[in-house]
Amino acid sequence: MSAVPGLKEDCEELLGAFQQADTVRFERFAELWRERRFHTIFYGRMRALERNKITKKTLDVAQQYFFPPYSFQIRVGALYLLYGLYNAQLCQPKQKIRIALKHWPEIQKFQLDLLDAQHYDAVYIFRRLRLARAFHFTAMPKLLTYRTKKKIEKNYFKEEFKDPSNRVNSLITNDVLEELMNIHDHYQKMKCVISADKSQPDKALSLIKDDFVVNLKDITLEHQEWQQNRMKLLRNAKVVPETEDKKKEETLLKSEGSERANALARIKYKSYSAVVEVSRSRRHRQVQLESSESGPSCGKSPGRSKKASRTPQPARRSEMQVTEETVTRHIGMPVIIEEDSEE
Amino acid sequence: MAAVVPDYELAELYTRAFRVGALGLGWQRLLGPPDLSLAAEAEKEEEEDAAVAAALGCAPGTAAELRAVCSIDMLMSCEKEEDPDVIPEDSSLLTLRIRKKTLERREETIIVDRACRQETLTYEMESHATGKRPDNPTDLIEEGELLLILNIFYPVIFQKHKDHKPYQTVLVLGSQKLTELRDSISCVSDLQIGGEFSSQPDQAPEHISKDLYKSAFFYFEGIFYNDKRYPECRDLSRTIIEWSESHDRGYENLQSVKMEDYSFNDLSLKIGFPYLYCHQGNCEHIIIITDIRLIHHDDCLDRNLYPLLVKKHWLCTRKCFVCKMYTARWVTNRDSLAPEDPCFFCDVCFRMLHYDAEGNKLGEFLAYPYVDPGIFN
Repeated sequence: MSAVPGLKEDCEELLGAFQQADTVRFERFAELWRERRFHTIFYGRMRALERNKITKKTLDVAQQYFFPPYSFQIRVGALYLLYGLYNAQLCQPKQKIRIALKHWPEIQKFQLDLLDAQHYDAVYIFRRLRLARAFHFTAMPKLLTYRTKKKIEKNYFKEEFKDPSNRVNSLITNDVLEELMNIHDHYQKMKCVISADKSQPDKALSLIKDDFVVNLKDITLEHQEWQQNRMKLLRNAKVVPETEDKKKEETLLKSEGSERANALARIKYKSYSAVVEVSRSRRHRQVQLESSESGPSCGKSPGRSKKASRTPQPARRSEMQVTEETVTRHIGMPVIIEEDSEE
Repeated sequence: MAAVVPDYELAELYTRAFRVGALGLGWQRLLGPPDLSLAAEAEKEEEEDAAVAAALGCAPGTAAELRAVCSIDMLMSCEKEEDPDVIPEDSSLLTLRIRKKTLERREETIIVDRACRQETLTYEMESHATGKRPDNPTDLIEEGELLLILNIFYPVIFQKHKDHKPYQTVLVLGSQKLTELRDSISCVSDLQIGGEFSSQPDQAPEHISKDLYKSAFFYFEGIFYNDKRYPECRDLSRTIIEWSESHDRGYENLQSVKMEDYSFNDLSLKIGFPYLYCHQGNCEHIIIITDIRLIHHDDCLDRNLYPLLVKKHWLCTRKCFVCKMYTARWVTNRDSLAPEDPCFFCDVCFRMLHYDAEGNKLGEFLAYPYVDPGIFN
């Protein structure tokens, strides 16, 4: 099926604006929708047959943004978009939104996340759609007609809408951490049992770092926050071509100080004129992954002091050194001090 | 039957095979009565705030607020009556700007912009049965019924069709037997009348091929479903099975069963994968299941109307060579009176040319009754 020209751009523009608004409130979405008078998207003189076809394609385009790998906010935006499009359509009887069986568990999970976070407006809207029986419950998302297309349109995902690929988090999940904690405790207990002093394990048996599970958790948390900040900065900033001077950068850490640092960084961005947006094909090249040199010239680099005195709880980085964040357009990887240097 | 979740075997093209009935179970397990209900659309009744509050686990005050904030009026135009046919002048939407240009161009080039008869037919077929409910409540389709959408391709091979082979689209219910689909497929080869009738044009027999050759089979996922309802029906698939078993040709066990024993819910199918329907011994149609979904209250809910034809290809009929007006009903070969071989005639012109007033045959020719593929238009 050929696409409706301009539709994808309009949807992405609206969802992009919603993402910028940094909220999931329906009120905000409705404002943006009304600004653009999005309900007119079905206007135009056309006969019933063509109207049916165009409406189906429109709902199909909007529906794609409702599922992973798009980020949470985009998915909520897509839900609102579907609500709006379903009700604004001019077909009688209304064209339905297709949901495949394999997507339903994702939707259920999405619902639960929304409820947990008390985003009642999103839950309410999904409920309204469901009660209005706006869905067709299908086997597969698209009609499969064995059409071998001459040009396979690659289903491209708009980068900014995607959730940052969180491989670290998907590997080290909460379950894994909990399991590790349990095993660790068990291990400690076993060591105590076979030691002379029942209250603590023998020195000879100390073969691993005692607080490594906690450290692991902290490292993953830090990575996640770093990634989120990176995404935010990427979104807020206009990108400059790489040929410009690269400044030395440090990791951006989330703490009280970093709020101010964020603001500083934003001001610095705005002060650069003549910005050029890198084309999509080069987008993957615009972020320089430079490892910041850890040395005295770099100033204080974020360290992770693995002293035994550290309290094993998700420490807010107060004890960590917060470096001055002169974040520029290029964002580097956080530095992890080699463990061998300590203990 | 265990529930199953269909997924692609070859991305974007077709799925793995799965039991159709299991899909229905899979969905029914996940949905509640309001999702599955086929009751007619009720008037806009607002949900009670208390019900909303209970479902969401929020305060009733919040529920009332939600009703106000999330109302669809927030997204609709609050201005006076807007004409949906008119695209607003300064729209910020790219879709509308492009559409406007296209419409303007169309207005310039097309003198009369009106639905042609093909479009009217297509639209009518698509929508004529929507929402129909039967008079007899026993004919009402049950909740949770599965609807399969099949594309059945025509066996006609014209050069102009080499890129897009024409097809019909049929809706069929999961609980219907395969024989019901077989009976509903109208193919021109069923109507052929065999035999040469130049000497007795008035005695073209009543029997059409459909009555004479009743055998047929469907082929889905390695199993041949043969029509065995009548004693004349033969197992057409036997040849194929014997062929595949004669040497190691790389085909798995091909089985042959009776079509009338199976309903669509019993089958294992892949969506998007071409299968076969064969009748008349050598008339083969490709069948592709394009979609399977749960029945919806806006669909046609009268069981008697299924299998339901919703789309068919318009084939131009061949007209009589003489009058160029009526559809051809006769075709002649080796006709000394005709300018070309074969030559097509409508009934009236055929008799006028080839027979005299007493009905005697004039000239030498062979005449066969002709059924045009476009007869189903």
